[in-house]
Amino acid sequence: MKIKTGIVLSGFVNVALIVVIAAFAYHDLNRILTKLAFVEIADDLNTLFLEMRLSEKNYFLSNDPGELADIKERLASAKQVVGSMRGDIVRATGAANYAELVEDIGEYGKTFPEAGQDRPPDADAEARIRSAGKKLREFSETLIRLERKEVHRIIDNSTNGMLLSFWAILLSTVALSPVSSRRILNALKKIETLTKSISQGRFDKIEEHPGNNEIASVIRAVNSMSQELRNREEELLQTKKLASLGILTAGVAHEITNPLNNISMIAQTFEQSYGDLDETMRLEFMKKVENEAERIKNVVINLLDFSKPKQSQRLTADVRELVEHTMALVRNMLDVSAIDTALDLPQGLPPVLVDEHQIHQVLVNLITNAIQAMAPGGRLSVAVRAVSGGAAVEIEVRDTGKGIAPEHLSHVFDPFFSTKGVGGTGLGLSISYGIVKNHHGSIRVESEAGKGTAFTVTLPAITSQNFAEE
Amino acid sequence: MSGKVVMVIDDEKIVCDMAKIALRKEGYEVETFVDLVLAVERLKGRSFDLVITDLKMKGIDGMEVLRTIKEKYPATKVIMITAFAHLSAAIEAFRGEVSDFFPKPIKLKELVAAVKRAVGDEA
Ligand SMILES: Nc1ncnc2c1ncn2[C@@H]1O[C@H](COP(=O)(O)OP(=O)(O)O)[C@@H](O)[C@H]1O
Ligand SMILES: [Mg+2]
Repeated sequence: MKIKTGIVLSGFVNVALIVVIAAFAYHDLNRILTKLAFVEIADDLNTLFLEMRLSEKNYFLSNDPGELADIKERLASAKQVVGSMRGDIVRATGAANYAELVEDIGEYGKTFPEAGQDRPPDADAEARIRSAGKKLREFSETLIRLERKEVHRIIDNSTNGMLLSFWAILLSTVALSPVSSRRILNALKKIETLTKSISQGRFDKIEEHPGNNEIASVIRAVNSMSQELRNREEELLQTKKLASLGILTAGVAHEITNPLNNISMIAQTFEQSYGDLDETMRLEFMKKVENEAERIKNVVINLLDFSKPKQSQRLTADVRELVEHTMALVRNMLDVSAIDTALDLPQGLPPVLVDEHQIHQVLVNLITNAIQAMAPGGRLSVAVRAVSGGAAVEIEVRDTGKGIAPEHLSHVFDPFFSTKGVGGTGLGLSISYGIVKNHHGSIRVESEAGKGTAFTVTLPAITSQNFAEE
Repeated sequence: MSGKVVMVIDDEKIVCDMAKIALRKEGYEVETFVDLVLAVERLKGRSFDLVITDLKMKGIDGMEVLRTIKEKYPATKVIMITAFAHLSAAIEAFRGEVSDFFPKPIKLKELVAAVKRAVGDEA
């Protein structure tokens, strides 16, 4: 279900609940008002009966015929009221009681004219009148009591209904909406993690969300962005490789030209001084030709190795060999720029799981930068060591170059940050950063302007523990 | 036999050896050095008519040798060789100071001819 649909639906449910409650409340209120009006009328009736009885008492005491007239008048209005309340009284007390009431009023009315013959009623008549009056009074009181009870019942029901609806709304907002908001929050958290890893140069993917809601499409979008970035990175990697290749060309030219020249010179000497050479020398010459051809072959292999398109393949490697291999690759660059080297490559370091070509590329990038930062006579130091009690291995590339200005230090890993004008792409370090991150390692820089710079690559070692996880 | 003395400096031993064979054949006395420091040291002990030096060798700049020779032994001629074709332009600037310049691969006959020209042994 789409989140939008969910939110609209839960909103709709809440509104519907509120409408139902309002309707019930309105209905109950109406009933209460009607009841109260009825209670009021019943009250009037009660008052009428009360006054009637007062007049009745007075009449018996004073025998005043005026009182008798009052009683008759009141009896008439009571009859009227009872008639108008018929339906309500029947409902409240039942048809039988209503009939009895009417009968009682009739009875009460009938007793008086008899009693009103200008002579005091006899004791028997008086007793009948009193009991009829009492009955009427009791009836009206019962009526009021019953109706009051009914009003209370309605109010209680209404209160319970309200309370119930309140819980229902509370439940639907407190219990149901967190379900959808938790879903949103969880998804956001995943996306956040992914974004973080992307910003750190690792282009992971997160598990796709089932269903067809907004979260799923956001995750799909982020995943495809991650994939796109990964592709881009690979492209950049390739671009950068070609650029490094350009930088390497000078060294490569030297490396190929020298053995080529050697072969050529041997051939010329062979031809021009054949007679002056003895058998051993001639054989030695041919052996040298063979050696020089071998030299060329190695350079070409290295070159192909370097420009080969990336096909990520992680294998167990020894950082010492990685550095040595890289040094062979950059040897001539160093020579051209007259840079001294100091290598500290102890044996027996824990192995790492790496894509060799990529790590070579990182090291070539770092060394190229170091060379570019130094004047002839500078010194490049490369050291490897185990750290974190053998859980990781560090490769440090240190130069005695011009250093990095403090305000540039935080930007050197940014793509396209370069202080080299048209001479720099600003990609070397950002790509190196990405590669190292992908290897779950880290890269850091220390630099002092005018003194030199040290880049340190840390790679997790294959410890027995790490290995068990693979 | 001209009896002139030539020094060859190149960290590629084959270059030294082949140049030596070719120049000896022409009657030159040849000393070769694969180590630039030893070569400079040797210059102090003996005067050479000509020095053939590689421009860039591992860790050392042949340009330094040129400067030293021009300063201390102005009579000594210099021929530059180099494996860096792209340095040709830079070396053009030294046209006045070097007798000749050869990018590798070197033609031995041309090198010998250049040596002869430089030390005034031309026929
Ligand atoms: N070893 C170093 N010494 C001094 N500055 C450096 C060094 N390495 C990198 N930098 C600085 O970091 C910037 C970015 O390097 P990089 O990403 O390799 O791009 P580029 O080399 O193409 O400029 C360089 O332009 C330079 O200013
Ligand atoms: Mg760079």
